[in-house]
Amino acid sequence: MKRPRGTDGSLLHSLPWSVAALAVSFAPHIPFVPVWITIIMFASAAWRYAIERRRANLPHPVMRAILALACFLGVFFTYDTISGVGPGSALLAVMAAMKFLETRRRRDQFVLLFIAIFLTMSALLREQYLWSLPFLIASLLLILTAWLRMSADDSAGIRQSAATGSRLLLYAAPVAIAMWIFFPRIATPFWSVPIDTGSAISGLDDRMSPGDISSMSLSNAVAFRVYFDDEPPPQKDLYWRGLVLSDFSGRTWSARDWDNGIGDPPDEQLAVYGEPYYYQVTMEPTRQQWLFALDMPYHWELNNSFMGRQQQLVSEHPVDQRIAYEVVSFPQYRADVDLRPMWRTRYESLPSGSNPRTVALAEEMYSQSENELAYIRSVLRKFSEESFFYTLKPPALGRNPVDQFLFDTRQGFCEHYASAFAVMMRAAGIPSRVVLGYQGGEINPRGDYMIVRQADAHAWTEVWLEGLGWRRFDPTAAVAPERVDSGRAGAMFDGLGEAWGMSAPSEFVYDLSLTWDSINAKWNEWVLGYGPENQERFMEWLGMDDPNWRKMMFTLIGLVAAIVFLLSLLMIWRNLPPRRDAASRLYRRFVRRTGLEPKTGETPEAFATRAANDGGLDANAVAAVTSAYLAVRYGPADDEGLAALESAVSAVRR
Amino acid sequence: MSSTRWIFPNPLRSLPRLNQRVGRRIRSYAFKRQGKDGDVTTLKPGRIYILPTGVGFIFALMTFVMLLGSMNYNNNLSFVLTFLLISVGLISMHQCQRNMVGLELGFAGTEPVFSGQKAQFRIAVGNRSKTTRFRIRLTSDSGSSPVFDVPPGESRVMTLPVPTETRGWVSLDRFGVHTLFPFEMFRAWAWMHMDIRGLVYPKPAEHAPEPPASQAALGHRQHDARGEEDFAGFRKFHPGDSPRNVAWKAYARNDQLLSKQFAGADMSSQWFDFDDVPALDVEERLSILTRWIIDADRTLEDYGLKLPGLEIPPSHGEAHRHACLEALALYGIDNEAA
Repeated sequence: MKRPRGTDGSLLHSLPWSVAALAVSFAPHIPFVPVWITIIMFASAAWRYAIERRRANLPHPVMRAILALACFLGVFFTYDTISGVGPGSALLAVMAAMKFLETRRRRDQFVLLFIAIFLTMSALLREQYLWSLPFLIASLLLILTAWLRMSADDSAGIRQSAATGSRLLLYAAPVAIAMWIFFPRIATPFWSVPIDTGSAISGLDDRMSPGDISSMSLSNAVAFRVYFDDEPPPQKDLYWRGLVLSDFSGRTWSARDWDNGIGDPPDEQLAVYGEPYYYQVTMEPTRQQWLFALDMPYHWELNNSFMGRQQQLVSEHPVDQRIAYEVVSFPQYRADVDLRPMWRTRYESLPSGSNPRTVALAEEMYSQSENELAYIRSVLRKFSEESFFYTLKPPALGRNPVDQFLFDTRQGFCEHYASAFAVMMRAAGIPSRVVLGYQGGEINPRGDYMIVRQADAHAWTEVWLEGLGWRRFDPTAAVAPERVDSGRAGAMFDGLGEAWGMSAPSEFVYDLSLTWDSINAKWNEWVLGYGPENQERFMEWLGMDDPNWRKMMFTLIGLVAAIVFLLSLLMIWRNLPPRRDAASRLYRRFVRRTGLEPKTGETPEAFATRAANDGGLDANAVAAVTSAYLAVRYGPADDEGLAALESAVSAVRR
Repeated sequence: MSSTRWIFPNPLRSLPRLNQRVGRRIRSYAFKRQGKDGDVTTLKPGRIYILPTGVGFIFALMTFVMLLGSMNYNNNLSFVLTFLLISVGLISMHQCQRNMVGLELGFAGTEPVFSGQKAQFRIAVGNRSKTTRFRIRLTSDSGSSPVFDVPPGESRVMTLPVPTETRGWVSLDRFGVHTLFPFEMFRAWAWMHMDIRGLVYPKPAEHAPEPPASQAALGHRQHDARGEEDFAGFRKFHPGDSPRNVAWKAYARNDQLLSKQFAGADMSSQWFDFDDVPALDVEERLSILTRWIIDADRTLEDYGLKLPGLEIPPSHGEAHRHACLEALALYGIDNEAA
């Protein structure tokens, strides 16, 4: 079968709009897909447009087939797979590029627009920011406009298509909102497909090597937001537990897979006392499995998550999307009180021969202490009383980094102190481990919630004591108490205004950033986080008792039908012919009373004769109506004439 | 349409026989329900039918897949996109039908044709509302108009061709008004059954025998004593007419070349008599007469027509030609029944 390849310029009016729709829907993917895909897509669009301008032939089918094969292989070798959002959107882009080259008739562009719709959707699967909503509306508007351009008259302007497109989208909006609110949300996914959100996510490393990194970043990015049911805990209790590192190589702290396996239920790992904190955490995606909770989480509500063997919360799948979970934490607890001897030895072990000076010092200090607690206190006192400095830019450390840190450089941040402290404990035969997480958080007064940022990342130590279980000790607090007591919010924004060359007080910028964050938080909570729980709460607030999917579906269908009905009335009203003038309406009333229908081209006089004869009406009354009507129609249409017509019409009786 | 069909097959069309039967059913149902329409009919919502197209089915499938995807990822913005698209589909269904509601359809006449030619029925599509009606198309069983827009307060006249086979009346029993607007996801249409017909002259015989000799000699017309020619009227200019006889003043007025006709010495008149035609078959005789009349009309001759029970005295001109051809067209045809 040979299909013609010639073009005739008939696509010139619609092709640019299809290209624009594809460009906008593809734009958010550009940072994520390989550059060659972007180039191919836009080059192919430009090439196709040039072909149409010159009325040239489309490329030969064999050439198109070779190009298509090359592109598909390219995608496959780039990603090694074709499932998932990343390779999926790359494939869609390649398909669009290939489709450009075989689009000959106007209606072939349907395929291009369908691809644009899927590209828009996959962009939303990748990331959902505040600007994603305007993006999706703009993209949809362009797609609908391009769609109308496909069939529009060549003479019809773009303004007309755009106006029709936006009008229909405007009509669709209330219907879509009703659907969005009432469509029952379900909790569990049917299947799991990886979402490629790129690598631009900052978070915690799953290992710690103090001395390797020479500086710590103070990223202002939000790690998670916390909504407390009651008063938030004091700053010194804000230890957000993340992951626990128990293996030490002499330089690097790390965890074993086994540690992050499913541990015993919390009530077997923990004994809790006192007043708990109730709160909800909305966590930004990390692509890691750690969930953050205040020391010590006891209850939490999140599917596919569990407590690991070291009282850390773990999600079964990496956190690819923003998630929210509710937690109950007890600040007073005993953890793992009966630690098995086997594990004790693990938490006491140090690689032999590493950091010998530290080991020697620990043994010496321990022998001078009465008991373990006294030893711990003396180590902390050493950190606070001797000249140790807290700095975010410590010098790099060589072999035996703990020795070098404790005896030579004495400069470091939380990781250095946590590592040194844990090693000191182990050297003295006290089980210890390092906990990574966040410390602190600032209350956003605009939204009454707490923001915990990446810059709040922290490392501290836990020591196991007979009868007390794991206790938290934060050696950094001994060195730089302000780091723990006040947080760093105030320091963060100082001088920001000057840095931008503004004379405005930095307080203003800080204020603005808090407002922006509270808008983002609201957006996250109510739009992005509108899941089964939020929906149920909202339904109850609306007055639906015992909400279930059936009730919601019925409401949805009823509401959608009602709105569509109203819009349909609006559309018919727009299409109604203008109201007849008063004289016509009065005459029409007369016609109805005669029970006859005027024939095409029948004059009022002829109709009057017929009405008097066939309709059996009073000939005088009919004549009066007719003459009054003609007087108004062809004479001056004043109120007097209309009144005369009206009285004449009402005089006609069957 | 064909290219769309292979990309997006319409399930409704994939069973052609069922489709045809359903189509016939709908048409006869529409006729039974609506009855004959007046010469000017306003489309009411109740008589507009609507079904999804292939594009519509694909669109529905796509939104369903998108809904599953949104549910799987519990992605609320993707839900927004999906629901907006579903709503646009729903709205476009209503818009598609509303696009036709209130259109005024009227018969705007037709020109007589010779049997075998296509009769062109002119249909006026009027829009008295304040919004443009987009992408309307008229169809008959034998052809369709181009797609057109009707701006507010205006009307468009389209022609629908109907093939003719026999002389007499040709009627356009039924024609359709269609629209795919706005997104081609739905097709809305209405069937119109107007009592409209056009005249079909007999087909002119291709090889006609010579007409009988001119009867000028019989003194049907007399020379004017003064030798002057009497102005008798105008007729359309035919190649061969003397330029002296062209009505130049009239040409200046209406751009139409007319020849002056004179009752004079050169004029001869001729009778075409049904009974004199050298053929046996009635249709053949009518066909030959048609040819004679067409040929005679091109000359300056007067001609008359005699049919059993009818006599048209010799004359000439457009109206005369039409009267003669109409008589031939309707010979033996009951005028009322047509």
